[in-house]
Amino acid sequence: MTNAIHFLPDEKNHEATRLLPYVMAVMVYLSALALMGSILLHKGFGDWTESLSNRLTVQVTTADRHVRAQQVEQITQLLRNTPGIESVRKLNDVEIEQLLEPWLGAGNVTSDLPVPDILDVTVSHALDINLDALSAQMARISDDIHLDDHQQWLGRFLRLMDMVEYTALGILLLVVMATICMVIFGTKAGMAENRATIEIMHHLGAQDSMVARAYQDRFMAYGLKGGIIGLILAFTTLISLIYLSRDLAAGLVKVPALPIAEVATLLIVPVIAALISMLTARITVMRDLGRMV
Amino acid sequence: MIHFDNIGMRYGMGSEVLKDISFNLKPGSLHFLTGPSGAGKTSLLKLMYLAQRPSRGKITMFNEDVTAAERGALPKFRRKIGVVFQDFRLLDHLSAVENVALPLWISGGKNIEIEEHVEELLTWVGLKDRMKARPPTLSGGEKQRVAIARAVIKRPDILLADEPTGNVDPAIAKRIMHLFVELNKLGTTTVIATHDMNLVAEIGADRMHLQDGRLHMIRAGENKPLREDEQFDPTEFDSRKLNQDEFGPKDYRPKDYRTTYGDTTLAGDEAS
Repeated sequence: MTNAIHFLPDEKNHEATRLLPYVMAVMVYLSALALMGSILLHKGFGDWTESLSNRLTVQVTTADRHVRAQQVEQITQLLRNTPGIESVRKLNDVEIEQLLEPWLGAGNVTSDLPVPDILDVTVSHALDINLDALSAQMARISDDIHLDDHQQWLGRFLRLMDMVEYTALGILLLVVMATICMVIFGTKAGMAENRATIEIMHHLGAQDSMVARAYQDRFMAYGLKGGIIGLILAFTTLISLIYLSRDLAAGLVKVPALPIAEVATLLIVPVIAALISMLTARITVMRDLGRMV
Repeated sequence: MIHFDNIGMRYGMGSEVLKDISFNLKPGSLHFLTGPSGAGKTSLLKLMYLAQRPSRGKITMFNEDVTAAERGALPKFRRKIGVVFQDFRLLDHLSAVENVALPLWISGGKNIEIEEHVEELLTWVGLKDRMKARPPTLSGGEKQRVAIARAVIKRPDILLADEPTGNVDPAIAKRIMHLFVELNKLGTTTVIATHDMNLVAEIGADRMHLQDGRLHMIRAGENKPLREDEQFDPTEFDSRKLNQDEFGPKDYRPKDYRTTYGDTTLAGDEAS
């Protein structure tokens, strides 16, 4: 005789619930993907926007090469004399070619292509620079000089990223709700299937909590099993996607590195799935038993 | 021990299946419950093992009003009641040992003690070689013996049996009745529902006779109902006067498991 008598029939004989772990696996898979997507976007674009937040780009589009060189010299002097500017560096031809290659294709950037001169400017975080004044000073040198602090498109981009994150959160909530509904349905079906057993246990003096414990343990195991399967599938999908995107994106988009620490937190997802499953089953059983004599 | 006061019971909106039932069973008494099929015997037993609540009236058991008791308070009463169901109600996926051990396990008994007591009792009811067998593989008589063992394993304060000897041969029936009488002698209030009037005559206990949902108390050896004023004070039935030899050898005496597991404690619930 074992320590505890398992008064509910074996899982494999439980027609109503034996497929539940696999449905749970799908739910956890979707949740984990939504969470991982959110983490990757947050981490990847967070690093990117951080790197752009103290950078300015100056484009000089004057057609005449000699005049343009003089203007670049003037701007460089102007910037170096401006408090808060840490460094000014003109991008060389190779760097500009690398920037254009993803759009035009390798080898298609010819020397007669009219490309602007680009200055990469690093500003100090400590000092506020009056960009309007700086822009006005540059405009006095030439109308073909454009100062870009990236904020206009970066702001839109960040709003888009926020929307993507909220969408991921919404998907997560829907999946959690669907999981709860599924566990309630499974528990009720399981109880209906074992109604006679539950009645006998009651006649023998079992309390509701004893019956509920049998169900909550079973559904916790379902949640954990499904959670582990779902998480393994989600990790497999994620690693495949990152591997594939490195080939396909080919420099158009910077594929974020896998943030190991953040992704490791997803290991808690099966535990949460198990807890949700367990609590839902317990509440469902206790409420249903409360209606019995 | 069991006091019914003007009990009526109906299922749903149907007519009353039990009408104006009033009786008082003293601690340690033994009664047969008789009556034709459909007279309400099973319904009356259901009220006694707290599987149903009456539509009206008051039931007092163990000196407490169980009709007013909260659901959560019922298990502690049910643990003092052993029931032998007519349809056995064994758990098919558990072995005979596990089925019999259930009441002890529910009360939080220790594994090794449970095993020892259960095996001893199953040996006594002639199922030594069928301990690991599951109910679907047992015959009707074997199932009944497992059901009886489950009902008496905890030496309940009240034992209710619905046709307990219906599926067993006369020899086993005598042994089972002997067990019931022994339990009764140890203080277990016993009610046995039966159609077997020979058995009733052989034991010679008072009879609760149901007819059309109404109860008539009949004194042992008589065939007429007690007067109204006698029904609340049925004559003392002293099973000690019974001749032991009539019921087979005295080869098994139920242990007082309450000393081991406690009769009112809900030890099994503490972990819940």
